[in-house]
Amino acid sequence: MAKTYEEINNRIKTGEAVVMTAEEVVDLVREKGAERAAEEVDVVTTGTFGAMCSSGAFLNLGHADPPIRMTNIRLNGVEAYGGLAAVDTYIGATSLIDPPGTGYGGAHVIEDLIAGKKVHLVATGPGTDCYVRKSIETNISLDDINEAYLYNPRNCYQNYGIATNTSDRTLYTYMGKLLPRMKNATYSSAGTLSPLLNDPHLDTIGMGTRIFLAGGEGYVSWQGTQFKTTVEEVNGVPVGGSRTLAVIGDMKQMDPKFVRGLDITGYGISLAIGIGIPIPILNADIMRNCAISDEDIYAEMVDYSLPSGRKCMQRYNYAQLRTGKIEYEGKTIRTSSMSSLAGARKVANTLKDWIEHGEFLLNEPCLSLPKEGKLKGLKDGGQ
Amino acid sequence: MEAKYRIDFDEGNVLESVTYTLVSEYDLKPNILRADITGDGSGFMLLSVIGDCDDVILGMNYLREIGFKVKELKGHISHDYERCWSCGACVSVCPTRSIYHEEETMLVKVNTKKCIACGSCLNACSVKAIQLEL
Ligand code: SF4
Ligand code: SF4
Repeated sequence: MAKTYEEINNRIKTGEAVVMTAEEVVDLVREKGAERAAEEVDVVTTGTFGAMCSSGAFLNLGHADPPIRMTNIRLNGVEAYGGLAAVDTYIGATSLIDPPGTGYGGAHVIEDLIAGKKVHLVATGPGTDCYVRKSIETNISLDDINEAYLYNPRNCYQNYGIATNTSDRTLYTYMGKLLPRMKNATYSSAGTLSPLLNDPHLDTIGMGTRIFLAGGEGYVSWQGTQFKTTVEEVNGVPVGGSRTLAVIGDMKQMDPKFVRGLDITGYGISLAIGIGIPIPILNADIMRNCAISDEDIYAEMVDYSLPSGRKCMQRYNYAQLRTGKIEYEGKTIRTSSMSSLAGARKVANTLKDWIEHGEFLLNEPCLSLPKEGKLKGLKDGGQ
Repeated sequence: MEAKYRIDFDEGNVLESVTYTLVSEYDLKPNILRADITGDGSGFMLLSVIGDCDDVILGMNYLREIGFKVKELKGHISHDYERCWSCGACVSVCPTRSIYHEEETMLVKVNTKKCIACGSCLNACSVKAIQLEL
């Protein structure tokens, strides 16, 4: 029996929709099978809360009197892009404070804005006949400015590698603190709850899918950058970083609970946000995909002490990783997650709550994301 | 009992002599968790001692009498639960497994009783949710 978006939305509106998280459906499908489960469940909610470095915010700061065409913009001392029209800017999550070194950056500006804090703006411009002013210094808050929306070019990585370190010194990486001689390993995926692992070939997630973005409503706006479909699959899901999403959402709706500016020692600034994607259970195949769990999802451990050519040392599934230790050639390695499972659950449960209360309807995508995507490298000294 | 102390000293060569006396005279099992000595020989150490309750008190009094500053460390690691987003990055770098995921909720918690104030978790945290108060 197949369902349509319209049927599901009607059930959401009347409060009849059956909504479960991607963790809750695992047992249901095991017990009843995908066919029966698909008849019972209308929507499965997924969630992830992790570092998403390729994120940032478009802001329109509003015109002063007399107006200025800003070409050099600092928000709390952090550089924002000055190459858009007069008072439009984009602040990237990893943008650094000037001078660097205080552990504050673009992600923290975004977090401060979402938390309702005042942010100090300093901007200069060339001064033109139509924009005579050459400089401005003031404070802004999210309420004071016109539009403010996150536009994140690459979020929600479909799976990721496991990082370890075989060298004799501690490494400080975007995968966290890696102790020498493989004393630990880090991983980063919500596993069972991870959005793109529950719809591995993007049968339902596409451009226009309405999502939970940092506590507000957002949309999938495009394929994410570095989108690739060539990664080997085990149990129907890729064993490494594969598909990604570009997402967009109104910052004014967002909740600071689901946003963290990060200062990752030795790497730099990043932004952690919570993202949840609802999966409409249109048929049994979609239900079957949502039943994937930590035991079925594998990731590859690589050595971050190698500057390049990092090969897979061994594969582990997320159930093994979550026990806190794994074995490698007779040696025990302790494990740490880099993304928050507690946070991912909160996202999936909040989205479930919204849908159950008729506050969030599903949006049918207007365009499918690519079925194929290959990654290109960058040639050194290209002609 | 086990207790942890911060001991401030002026001369660098005290580490061995102090632990020797605590073992031989006071029947304690001292363990230096961390020591920081500056160029002029002054510094501090974090010491864990295991022994009979009276012996621990007597041993520490002895150190005070010979001129050291002795301060008992209780709950000296602080964990900001509001700021912490339970990523878990700090969990595998803690040598004493004082940091753990609470089973039901997967929230990250710190058991300050087991913590030895080694400081390893501090720079593993990307939001400075763990602070060491010395
Ligand atoms: S300082 Fe941190 S890493 Fe060291 S024992 Fe205490 S909690 Fe563990
Ligand atoms: S690294 Fe920091 S934010 Fe992450 S779990 Fe540990 S204390 Fe919490």
